Amino acid sequence: MALGGRAALASRIILAALVVLLITLPLWATQSMVNIFLLIMLYMAVGQMWNLLAGYAGLVSLGQQSFIGLGGYSLAVLTEVYHLHFLLAILVGGVVSGVFALVISPPIFKMKGIYFAIGTWIIAEALALYFLNWSFVRYGLGFNIRTAYDMTTNDLYYLSLVIGLGSVVLVYLIMRTRGGLALMAMRDDEVAAEVMGIALYKTKLMIFLVSALVTGVAGGVLYLNISFIQPTAAFSLDWTVAAVVIVIIGGIGTMEGPIVGAVIYVILQQYLFNFPGFSMIILGVIAISIILVAPRGIMGTLQEKFGWEVLSPRRNMRKMKALVSTDCA
Amino acid sequence: MEVLLQSLLNGILLGGLYAVIGLGMSLIFGIMGLINLAHGDLIIISTYMSMVVALQFSGNLIIALLISVLAMIVIGFLCQSILINRVVDKGAEPPLLITFGLSVILQNVLQRIFGADAKSIPTSLAAQNVITTPWFSISAIYLIDFVVSILVILSLHFIIMKTYFGRAIRATSGDVVASELVGLNTKRVYAVTMALAMVTASIAGLLVGMTFTYYPTTGTQYLIIAFGVVVIGGMGSLVGTLLGGIILGLAQMLGSYFFGMAYQLFFGYVVLLAILTFRPQGLFAKTK
Repeated sequence: MALGGRAALASRIILAALVVLLITLPLWATQSMVNIFLLIMLYMAVGQMWNLLAGYAGLVSLGQQSFIGLGGYSLAVLTEVYHLHFLLAILVGGVVSGVFALVISPPIFKMKGIYFAIGTWIIAEALALYFLNWSFVRYGLGFNIRTAYDMTTNDLYYLSLVIGLGSVVLVYLIMRTRGGLALMAMRDDEVAAEVMGIALYKTKLMIFLVSALVTGVAGGVLYLNISFIQPTAAFSLDWTVAAVVIVIIGGIGTMEGPIVGAVIYVILQQYLFNFPGFSMIILGVIAISIILVAPRGIMGTLQEKFGWEVLSPRRNMRKMKALVSTDCA
Repeated sequence: MEVLLQSLLNGILLGGLYAVIGLGMSLIFGIMGLINLAHGDLIIISTYMSMVVALQFSGNLIIALLISVLAMIVIGFLCQSILINRVVDKGAEPPLLITFGLSVILQNVLQRIFGADAKSIPTSLAAQNVITTPWFSISAIYLIDFVVSILVILSLHFIIMKTYFGRAIRATSGDVVASELVGLNTKRVYAVTMALAMVTASIAGLLVGMTFTYYPTTGTQYLIIAFGVVVIGGMGSLVGTLLGGIILGLAQMLGSYFFGMAYQLFFGYVVLLAILTFRPQGLFAKTK
């Protein structure tokens, strides 16, 4: 059930208004608000990609930090050592992440379920160790990303806006294509999906690559914001923790979920900035409670109870409703 | 040559410790079918607990162990009844995410309470060597780790094979529905299993604290070690767990020998990934 007719039009207008507000944010909001929204956009992108993997493709990855780290380091190395433009560096970061995903995909896709999850985690840990001992990236010393010093918060904000909104649009487009249907079929029952002719491996690989690429790009911009990178933080599990918490609280398997989750995550982090670690404890408790009580998350439960869906992966609701009503006669 | 021999020896001894670390996870995975991502952090919590108690009782490690075991059993029981029993039959994702959330909470709680500095449990055994020859030496603490782990594994074997609860555990891990049909309270069996796992975790925690330094975030490292032990050794086999630990220990030590100290953990991870790819059921898995 999604909204039909007037309600759908209303939600579209609200959506458009929100986008306009976001675009004009630096004109009417304080710099600290701009900074907050910057983070929201970036974390939303990371969350959307994790949701794509776990919520739609059924691949629970605990290794997203690999791509964030690779994106961040591409930015650092290319701007500091080779003096390339930061936009190019960020794009290359995405490509590097995608290539890395491609390289690890044969072994990693042999691992099923929880093995896949831990496998991705181990790869990230191994990557961190490798970078700590690699002279090319200055071992554990890290880089000061000096390109960032010339940039204003507004510049970074617009960059993150592109990435954040872009990720939502990307997920929306993917889900509306046949690929999206294939994904949802795979998530619900892999064997049945394969029987229907869905190429499991290829579909999973495509989604894995896409999510790696976008996460890498987001990682680049995140580190442009932080302007200092070192291996332990860049490949820290905290990035995946953020993604998981954002998606679980917001609503796994929904497109609006990561948006809501990212807002909650960033605001909690900012609020509890003076109490380091507390935000993570609270987020962890909320996440666990949500899994126990409302496993579909905020947006998921709203969707279930009230049929309220702003961004629907389904194509034509009238047709669907017609189908459903004849079936359930 | 001596260094190689020393590496091999250390690998085997350390393997014992790794086996104890992995025992708890092997129990839970084998019997409840879920991977407890908070296992490493639970071990480290017991390490911190032992440290605190030992400091209170002027370094008496036996008391520290007893109190830590009791506390861990309580914690394990709480986790089991509040969190895990609710999701143990809901598929693979919820337990994964819940234990993940638990791990996050535990690490951050430890960090709030104890700070991020490295700690260790002071013991006079750490620096001593039991056997010193021109070719190799066996450090006292490594030897103790190994002996204790053998004892733990033997006791666990005895419990599982010869006692009533052991049979209940084996029945539940074999077929939950059938066990319930013959009148077993499987949720209670899970709780006992968790208690056993917590006991091994607290023993492992004390040993780890005596052997290495630790931070609130060390849990992740031991989680991966535990997972490695379970994967390499295969499920459902206690001997497999011991061998898994030894293989992992050897992989790390040999990696360190051939590639340098910095690559010790790295090499362990590589071996683990290789086994996950090519033989995920483990090297010694029992065919069920």
